[in-house]
Amino acid sequence: MASVTFFGVSSYYSRAMKATGRPGKKKTHKRAASRNAKTPAQAEERFLVEAAQSDPARFAALYELHFERVYGFIAGRVHDRATAEDLTSGVFYKALANLKSYEWRGVPFVAWLLRIATNAVIDRSQRASREHALTDDPPDPGIKPDMRAIEYRARLFRLVKQLPETQRRVVQERFVDQRSIREIATRLGKSEGAVKQLQLRALERLRAQMEGGHA
Amino acid sequence: MPKHLPKRPLADQLEEVVQAMLVSLQPRPEKSPHRDVAPLLSIARELRFLPREEFRATLKSDLQRRASMSVNEGTESAAAATAKAVHYMRPGFTSITPYIIVNGASQFIDFLKHAFDGVERLRVPAPDGTLMHSEVAIGNGIIEAGDANAQIPPAPTDIHLYVNNADATFDRALAAGATSIYRPTDEHPSGDRWGALKDPFGNRWYIATPRGWTPGPEGLRSIQPYLHLREAHKMIPFLEAAFGAEDVGTHKTPEGRVLHSTMRIGNATLEIDEAHGEYQPKPCVLHVYVPNADAMYAQALRVGATSVEPPTDKPYGDRSAGVKDPFGNTWYLNTFLGR
Repeated sequence: MASVTFFGVSSYYSRAMKATGRPGKKKTHKRAASRNAKTPAQAEERFLVEAAQSDPARFAALYELHFERVYGFIAGRVHDRATAEDLTSGVFYKALANLKSYEWRGVPFVAWLLRIATNAVIDRSQRASREHALTDDPPDPGIKPDMRAIEYRARLFRLVKQLPETQRRVVQERFVDQRSIREIATRLGKSEGAVKQLQLRALERLRAQMEGGHA
Repeated sequence: MPKHLPKRPLADQLEEVVQAMLVSLQPRPEKSPHRDVAPLLSIARELRFLPREEFRATLKSDLQRRASMSVNEGTESAAAATAKAVHYMRPGFTSITPYIIVNGASQFIDFLKHAFDGVERLRVPAPDGTLMHSEVAIGNGIIEAGDANAQIPPAPTDIHLYVNNADATFDRALAAGATSIYRPTDEHPSGDRWGALKDPFGNRWYIATPRGWTPGPEGLRSIQPYLHLREAHKMIPFLEAAFGAEDVGTHKTPEGRVLHSTMRIGNATLEIDEAHGEYQPKPCVLHVYVPNADAMYAQALRVGATSVEPPTDKPYGDRSAGVKDPFGNTWYLNTFLGR
């Protein structure tokens, strides 16, 4: 392992102090993992990456952290659930298999995952154009991940999981399973009016939380 | 000064635009739109991409299993095998696709393009120029078609097709060669605007635009096979037992005759009713994606289906088995194995 230079550490701390206004000393326990990291969140992430690199069983923590980002990015590109799931699985299998080749160079781990995801989306659309001369799914030149949109969508997906149970179930059945209000009403033993109210309340709550900025 | 038009409740307005968004149709214009509908719809648009919880959990346990094994051994093939187990539908397909066998499949494809804005996805010609297989996307579904021959007789199918504008589609279908049974009307018992026509290939089309949106028709798919059956009430328990179908709405006469029933398999639906008048049984071919073709084939045989073809791996990348139901319809039970 490379030795930590005093200069590197001090410049990290000075940046961190400027950024957070908190004294750097409280962070000393993360020193090894956080060298060259630009923010505490990146330091945390680097810690997780290094843990998974030495023990693949700890990859699950990285998956938990990034699943919504990767899936949301791919789903927005391919507009087909089966394909989105296929490609998302591929990205995480590949990331797990090649984890040792990932090197921290100030590039966040999510950027590495999204590069794998971008390649997977491009590969698929090129294969589709070869298979079908008249494809309705041409390669997309604007494939570059839009981090703001990705973070927005990932945050929304995580908020859905925190909805009250019945609202969460209505959202899942309506938007994922694409069941009708009538079907959901039957399944939940509620009236159609009640299910519509639950859908409304869930979306209002999500909207308020997304606008309020607190996840 | 006239009073304001009464506003429909926000929950109803929201459901209408959500329903329209999910089936890619235009909602009818709202007379007095609620100002909260637009921002809620933008949340709803994002929710279309919401992942399946089961998928998130399954992939996580796959990764944990893989991580606990030797990470560097056989990475690609093991990953591919797991992916196969998780994703059983060929991309672009829904759970139920009608497989229509006609004389003149090429002309049939032209008809689908002209009448219904069909988009050709695939065409596999035989050496003699007839079509062994083809796929045409219409709305959010697919129709498969092939030419009949000495071994495979024609199997026309009745289809309930949801479109943006039943009247306009109806007229285009007539221009493309179809014959009217009756023009779209608001008087159909479904409550939808609904018309019926026959194409030159022996298929009947029920062209409908859903009205009112709430309560919407169950499980709105652009393409729903419509089976007119003798003793249709016996089909419902058969579909449940053989294919794990779910009854999402059945209307019967007091004597138990099925007036209409919608059955869901996976993410798609088909409709059945008791054969009547000119709407007589027409054994058809349906192509169904299932998580495990072998298991469903065995299950179907246990509850009264007969074998057409045991499960085999197909060169096009599906594992496929064929069964015939007690009504004479053929079901291909497929599991997508990957590319």
